[in-house]
Amino acid sequence: MADSFTLPLRPVIERQDRPDTLPVEIAQINNHWGSFRDVNEEVLRAKIAEESERNGAPALENGDQEMSDVDSTERLEKLYKKRADITQFAVQSHMEAMFALDFISLLLSKNSPRQAETSMSAYLKQVAPLGSLEAEVVNPLPKSESAIKDTSTVSRGWRIQNFNSASNKLLKAASRLDTEVVSETRYWNEVLAVKEKGWKICRLPRERQALGVQYGFLEATPVFRDRGLASLRRSEDGSLILDKGLIPSGARFVRVRVRQGTRISSSSKPFMSPSGDVESVEHRILQARDSVFEEELFHELVREARSMASSGVTTRQNLIQVPASDDTEILLDLVDADDESIDTEQKESTATDQLLADGLAHSIRILLAFAHRQNLRRRTQPPPPLTSRKRVTPEYHLLRPALGYFQHLVQLRWLESYLQEILAVLRSSGLNVPELNKKTFVSGTPPLSALSPASVETFLQKFLMPIESVFQGTLLTAQSSFTIKIRTNISAPPFGTHYDVSFNFPSFPDLKSPGRISLRDEVEAAITHIFLLDVVSQISSDQLPTKNSPDGTVKKWNAIYPHLGELLLSGSTSPESNRKMKVVLNRRELSLSTFIVRGIDGVGRGARELRSQNSFPNTWSSLSSSTETQKHHSMMDFVIAEASR
Amino acid sequence: MHELLLFASVPVHQHHELLQQLAGLTAMQPRHALERRLIFKAYRKPGLITTRTGGSQDLQSGDLQRVNKLLNGGMFYTQVVGPVSEADFKVSGVAPDADTQMAGMEDDSKSAPTQHAYDYEQQPWKLEFRDIPEAGTRSAVTSRVMASASMPRGDIVPSMNAWGYSFVTEYVVEGDIFLHNDITIFLHRVLHYPASDQESREPRQSLPAFSEMTTLEKSGSYVLQASINVQDGSNQETMKTASQHLFGLREQLKSAVKLEQADRLSLDTRAK
Repeated sequence: MADSFTLPLRPVIERQDRPDTLPVEIAQINNHWGSFRDVNEEVLRAKIAEESERNGAPALENGDQEMSDVDSTERLEKLYKKRADITQFAVQSHMEAMFALDFISLLLSKNSPRQAETSMSAYLKQVAPLGSLEAEVVNPLPKSESAIKDTSTVSRGWRIQNFNSASNKLLKAASRLDTEVVSETRYWNEVLAVKEKGWKICRLPRERQALGVQYGFLEATPVFRDRGLASLRRSEDGSLILDKGLIPSGARFVRVRVRQGTRISSSSKPFMSPSGDVESVEHRILQARDSVFEEELFHELVREARSMASSGVTTRQNLIQVPASDDTEILLDLVDADDESIDTEQKESTATDQLLADGLAHSIRILLAFAHRQNLRRRTQPPPPLTSRKRVTPEYHLLRPALGYFQHLVQLRWLESYLQEILAVLRSSGLNVPELNKKTFVSGTPPLSALSPASVETFLQKFLMPIESVFQGTLLTAQSSFTIKIRTNISAPPFGTHYDVSFNFPSFPDLKSPGRISLRDEVEAAITHIFLLDVVSQISSDQLPTKNSPDGTVKKWNAIYPHLGELLLSGSTSPESNRKMKVVLNRRELSLSTFIVRGIDGVGRGARELRSQNSFPNTWSSLSSSTETQKHHSMMDFVIAEASR
Repeated sequence: MHELLLFASVPVHQHHELLQQLAGLTAMQPRHALERRLIFKAYRKPGLITTRTGGSQDLQSGDLQRVNKLLNGGMFYTQVVGPVSEADFKVSGVAPDADTQMAGMEDDSKSAPTQHAYDYEQQPWKLEFRDIPEAGTRSAVTSRVMASASMPRGDIVPSMNAWGYSFVTEYVVEGDIFLHNDITIFLHRVLHYPASDQESREPRQSLPAFSEMTTLEKSGSYVLQASINVQDGSNQETMKTASQHLFGLREQLKSAVKLEQADRLSLDTRAK
């Protein structure tokens, strides 16, 4: 009561209702029961017994009896009686109030009859005319001196008390405002600090009186764009709280893992924005921004992966599997950055796999940022006219460049190994094959100098272009060369890898380039055929030494069926026994065999072909050239020897 | 194609602030635009009207009837729009001796090769036709039929004459473009060429100094135009969506400007 702010208008009488002070109570007890000195156990026991005898015991008995006797009707009666009592009291009080109202109304009807009439009862209006009662101020009897003094003392006391409580309240309010000012200052300082770091501070659209900070990406998918806004709330002590609503606060990131066979060989590390204090608002904003970026990244990756099922990409609920090469697989998933289990499962990682995982992790992020830029560009172009058809946003190209790269790499390695093998076969046969000229990834290596924002975009644009590699080589035959281009296109049709085999072969002017080939077998066949033709034309172009011919005629291997690898020795003495040579070339070996053909011109084939005596097919393979004992060390020796027989 | 529009008048003192507000709303930097606009008026070529009278109406084939209807139907003003840049205008210091400059064209190009010169022959053009806004629509947006077509570069007057249009006048529109989803927001004002002695009968080959251009509205106030193009004007659903978008923008800009429908007859393009 003393705490509450009370006005000294309250009547003084109320003061007497307060519980009596202890001395008064002691005096009362003394009057009633006698002195405390007489109280002892016996007296108290006697008193208790007396008490219980007087009302306690009968009451108990009565209670028991009532409990047993009182049935429901009696209880109902009792209830009704009580209710009637209550109603009676209410009616009576109502009556009294009405009487009072009538009295006041009658009294007031002297001065304002119209107003007083409305509150008068009908009975009163009948019996008493309006304005028949009047009140007058009478001078009260002069109070006694002591009473006046008492009243003034009491009221002074009251006033002092109330002044005290008022001043207490004001002081409390002042101190509360003081702390409030301190915490507000701290809040606004922190908000300013955030703003000075360059973050965009704005009012929340839904909650106009709250401040928010925008950290998201304006060009992201609407779901993630809208998530890039969090409110800046003030805690009790004024420190800033970043309130992201229902979004979980933990940092998450897209993890890239490389799997060799069944073993995870490497995994990318979470990238943390550099910030000194882990608990600072700046750090939390950065973390929120990173998380929203990573989640959008994964969302877009899944969206893209679904459309890439034809390339062997599979998606689970929280996992994307991308086949990189035969036994290498890339796994992408969204994990918590502070998850302890991330590091534990990592086994020994090779440097290339780590490079691959990190490279892919970086490339998908760069490409998402690039997609954001493209979105901005698209958004600020004049829009197409509105149609009823809903515009769909195409999937971003995040995985496709990487997948294209892997595919290209696999094809490139295959082609390279194939070419090396077949060249090794040719070299083992003693032919002097020139080296290959290789230009890999010609489309994807623009110069990295003077990067301006525009040139960065054109630079990235090149990642989305088809990847191209070129193999060039010269053949043994003069002025002949071949070019093989590999193109991998993963972004736009025609999808997949294509080979473009072209050559410059003056010896065979009729030969047409096979054009674009997409099957490995066909490419292999085409390349082998070119080398076969090259070998055949090499054999036929060489003048054989004349000393071996007894009659002085110049012997020469003529390519009769160059496409089948068949040659005929010209200048043979007897037309009945022409010598024919057959060249067979594949990626493992080169074999030459000679036949004696009985025919007029040696062109005829069939039953009359006989393998020449003691001339087994001579083979050269890249593996066994040095170990096996060969009768003839080089192919040309064999050719000459065969001709001279 | 249909065009739905809302307009607002922006006093010059509010211009800068509104630019900022629009940049914030659309989350993009304004794209400054300068356009030359040439007004052409359709005229009837003498001798083309071959309306026959008499009792041989049924001799007219359907095609001929259609051609006649086209030729004798409504005549419209149409405008040819060409984007220019501020560099195309003359530097104000050189402007007074424009005649000598015109006379000594070769010398000028030799003396200042780095200076950008306006090349009328390379000016791209776009033909823009706008119908009178539809009457009696209950919707609170201006909607009208529109069509645009690219035109050859350079001198456009011969082609336009061939199509039955004669050159009337030209002016320049200066402003900033914002894009907000499907809505194109164009905050612009009309500039007049400085008054010259002789009224030109054909488009100017060179542009005067930009500072000499005078605004049509003396106070220099701007017009805010919000527009959406709709492919199929007969599709009620899309038209409704488009006007909903415009109303949404009106609501968002309510505290800054008051976007409203334009007076239909003030946008009348019919040639009388």
